[in-house]
Amino acid sequence: MSLLATYQTYKNRLTDRYDVLGTVFVEYRFEYLLALPSVLLISLLLWVPFFRGIWMSLFSWPLLGEPEWVGLGNFQFLFSWDPFWTSVKVTIIYGLNTVIHLVLGITAALIAYRLSGFAKKAASGTFLIAYAMPPVVTGTLWLYLLDPTFGPIQQLFVDLGVFSSPVYWSTDGTAALAVVTLVGGWTFWPFVFLIVLASREGISDTQYEMAKMYGASRLQQTLKITLPQLKSAILVAASLRIIWNLAKVSQPFQMTQGGPGYESSVLGLLLYRDAFFAGQMGRAYSVGIVLLLISLAAVLMFLREFERQSGEVEF
Amino acid sequence: MSVRTALPGSQGRQLSVWDVLYKVMFYTVLASFLLMILVPILFTISASFRTLSEIFAAELYLIPKEPTIEPWVEGFEDLRPFLVNSLMIATGTVTISLLVAVPGAYVFARTTFPGRKPLFYLIILSLLFPHVLLVIPISDLWYDLGLYNTLPGVWLGHQTFVIPFSIWIMRDFFQKMPTNLEEAAQMYGCTKWSAFVRVVLPVAKPAIIAVLFLGFLNGWNDFLFANMITDNRGPRPAVVALYNVINGGSGETTDWQLLMSESLIIGLPPVVVYLFARRYISEAFAVNAS
Repeated sequence: MSLLATYQTYKNRLTDRYDVLGTVFVEYRFEYLLALPSVLLISLLLWVPFFRGIWMSLFSWPLLGEPEWVGLGNFQFLFSWDPFWTSVKVTIIYGLNTVIHLVLGITAALIAYRLSGFAKKAASGTFLIAYAMPPVVTGTLWLYLLDPTFGPIQQLFVDLGVFSSPVYWSTDGTAALAVVTLVGGWTFWPFVFLIVLASREGISDTQYEMAKMYGASRLQQTLKITLPQLKSAILVAASLRIIWNLAKVSQPFQMTQGGPGYESSVLGLLLYRDAFFAGQMGRAYSVGIVLLLISLAAVLMFLREFERQSGEVEF
Repeated sequence: MSVRTALPGSQGRQLSVWDVLYKVMFYTVLASFLLMILVPILFTISASFRTLSEIFAAELYLIPKEPTIEPWVEGFEDLRPFLVNSLMIATGTVTISLLVAVPGAYVFARTTFPGRKPLFYLIILSLLFPHVLLVIPISDLWYDLGLYNTLPGVWLGHQTFVIPFSIWIMRDFFQKMPTNLEEAAQMYGCTKWSAFVRVVLPVAKPAIIAVLFLGFLNGWNDFLFANMITDNRGPRPAVVALYNVINGGSGETTDWQLLMSESLIIGLPPVVVYLFARRYISEAFAVNAS
């Protein structure tokens, strides 16, 4: 076959392919036009920078200056760098915040559901206060409240005998991590509350009427009807909270800047410090990749629940 | 049949020991929750009306003995330009996200087209993404593109979270709408487009209001992106200004009464917005197994 003929067949195949694509696009013009802005924006703003970041993690990439190829050198450095392992440990402890969020959020939701009228509005409104404020603001409020010399909550704890003397937590690694974690626990649980309460409202009362007829106790009703029905909601809330807790930056950053040393630097904060104080963009991004891998289990949990819920809709 | 009793445990019959115990526990837990939230907040409000000497008072009391509004006046003056920036950042963020996310959520929820699933996953995965990872590549890229220190730069940065979050919430809402809504509209002569604009959008109003508020709050509250893609010469929002008061490294003694008033000035608007929009927001968060 001559070169020209080969060219011709390929050209025809290509035009056929384009024609098919063309008809598909014309037929679904409306759908594509509405979907494309979000797909394009997210691809350009999130996925392209993300892959560019993976590329950067293979370089020694100073903030100003020429990048230099180092292959997996950044990861090699990380795994032998003590602050990195401190940071992994700190991230896991901070991530346990999710337990606080779930316990507080679910309890508060079940309580608010039992209230009605003004009491319900007032209670759920109050529950949301901490979550509505910027995390940097709630962090600042707690810096004052927990100050060892004049913070009222410290004074309260000393008066109540919880502490024998004020705790100078900002210079003590363990205490600093405990404070940052507990303040995070105090701040973000209403997200779980919102999801669980809204989902509780969606469970019909008939099941409870039935259970009551058969003489089920309150505890049995909660364990056998409420919690199973809320399983989806709880798993969705838990997985999102795990992902977001593991990547928290702003509030711990405001409270301790990750210190003393690296004792309260969660991985997101280590990344931030490495990038903007040390100017090591490539190395900082390799920290981010480790963070991504740690949160992957939660991502899979979310996707599984998500698929199950929208299961009846065929993609 | 009674749907829900106003008070827990009161079934109109005689109260057993368990019912009483349950009630006591119920109100104890409720009270603990309220105290856990309100005690810290009330002390910060108290601090914001004190003089510096009263901040350092040896004993613990809630109502300031010589209340002053000086910290609030000074706080407003210091923060004014930053509050304007926060407002513009939040407004722009939510405008872009609504224009993009509402149509997107609609077609992903209620239509079929080739490539829908992979495209949708591209978006939903970005909700599950640790956004701190974008800090580095975006600040680098924004510098090259001339978006550093500009309002559009901040607006676009926020979209990486606000768009997927809004789509996640709205898609659920669109899916719960009656299946034959568009067909009915088309029988009355609507095109796909006019059915969307004139029939679907009005029905979806509660969900749109919810994502409007959530997007606004995200724009107002976010520190991460705003701090990294602006500096003192650019549109710095109030949260970043607050961060700089504490960690700016000026080494002066902190005026805690001023810091508390500034924190509350920044923190109270989103609380008011949340309370105002609570009904819409709480409906939007329902996750029910169907």
